Amino acid sequence: MESPSSPLILALWAALAALAAGLGPVLLGTPPAPRPRHLGFASALAAGAMLGVGYALMSLGLARSGGAATLGAMLGVAVTYASHVWLGVGAAPRAVRIRHAVGAGALHAAPEGIAMGAAMAADPRFGLFLIATLAVHNVWESEVLGTQILAGGVTRGHAALLGVVSNVPQVVFAVAAFAVAVRAPMSLTVLLGFAFGALTYLCLAELLPDSYRSVGRTSIAVVVSVAAGVVALLGGRLQ
Amino acid sequence: MMAWVSTHPTAYVFLFALLTALATSLGVLPFAFIRTVSARGMAIANAIAAGLMLGASFGLLVEGTHHSGWATFLGTNLGILFIVATQRLLGHGDGGETAFLGARGAGARRMIFVIAIMTVHSFAEGAAVGVSFGGGTTLALAITLAVAVHNIPEGLAITAVMRPQGESLLSCAWWSLFSSLPQPLAAVPAFLFVAYLHAALPYGLGFAAGAMIFMVLVELLPAAYEEAWSRSVAVVTSTTLIAMLLLQRYL
Repeated sequence: MESPSSPLILALWAALAALAAGLGPVLLGTPPAPRPRHLGFASALAAGAMLGVGYALMSLGLARSGGAATLGAMLGVAVTYASHVWLGVGAAPRAVRIRHAVGAGALHAAPEGIAMGAAMAADPRFGLFLIATLAVHNVWESEVLGTQILAGGVTRGHAALLGVVSNVPQVVFAVAAFAVAVRAPMSLTVLLGFAFGALTYLCLAELLPDSYRSVGRTSIAVVVSVAAGVVALLGGRLQ
Repeated sequence: MMAWVSTHPTAYVFLFALLTALATSLGVLPFAFIRTVSARGMAIANAIAAGLMLGASFGLLVEGTHHSGWATFLGTNLGILFIVATQRLLGHGDGGETAFLGARGAGARRMIFVIAIMTVHSFAEGAAVGVSFGGGTTLALAITLAVAVHNIPEGLAITAVMRPQGESLLSCAWWSLFSSLPQPLAAVPAFLFVAYLHAALPYGLGFAAGAMIFMVLVELLPAAYEEAWSRSVAVVTSTTLIAMLLLQRYL
């Protein structure tokens, strides 16, 4: 029987979280008409979950080593910003738009995978909670991503598949981060900080602006802060 | 000095909160050299303020959770409710002819709204300074510093609205200070509340954090996104947040 925090079990849990991303395009309704308010709230819930997860990760990292956690957080912001700039945003042709949407999904998935691996290495119970939270977050996020992909003219099944594919980096980075943290325990704090910095940056650069564009700022602020509070509370109690 | 502090903690809290209020007046300084601040400059100032407030809230939540996770969570939601209620209250103006100082109409309404918003927010910030003293000197210094630095862009925002209406720098400095006067007034009762009713500390810490996070989400970030690239806002806010965490750790 594999330990609950073995790389294989972690890969299976992370793969389930990635599969959850296939649900987004399916849940968009028939036909998938643009519903800005619904998508705005989906982005806000995803942002709140991300901030709550980030808080739980960073408070764990700070408790281990303030310097290493903040160094990791700065690296997380810097690397994600550089990837963001390199990936670019928005383009008219269909293929480019789909590629960018999938690329943006993959960019989100990488730090989420690092968060899963680091959390599992720190505490299996916390790791499982974080994977479950990010699986739900993936459904909300993939609704937004699915709208962009479906606008490119692909079928719903194809959109669901692209949603799952864009989250494959989650599995790869989860296992890699876990392996690094287990072999070099000193790196765990840096990884926790890295995940916090990257998730916070992505939330501020993409999810929150998207939400504000679709729904009023007060509604978004309520949804984000309450969702983040619930996730932080549950995450904090499970550490 | 330390003996005076330990024997007069309430005066100490009042003094620190007064200093944060005075910092608001520093927001007029750029206007001594320039007539206006660019919209992008204001957006970056708001992004920095957002990072500071989020970092300060992080410290309050960590401290509150040490006492009780659920109490901190309830306090956070009370803080959010407080700001939502005050925003609803302020948002229901009659839209009629308004005069304020030398200005009339939309300009006067904008001035009143900005000052009113900042003044109401100041109660929550003052409460944050007050309750943070219940969590120890290190936390208190970090929160005081964060609120003081955060106040400077608030003064900048008030001056940016008042200066084009022909108000003098002195008048802008006074109204900036006025908007933060609730800070020392709210800090002392908040401190006394948590000092004498220790069980209230996590609720108070959560309340202050919730109110500040909500202000960031409802005011500072949307204002920053309106005038700057979301990537720039994200980099500035997250970097400032991390710097604030480092500061709280090693202060």
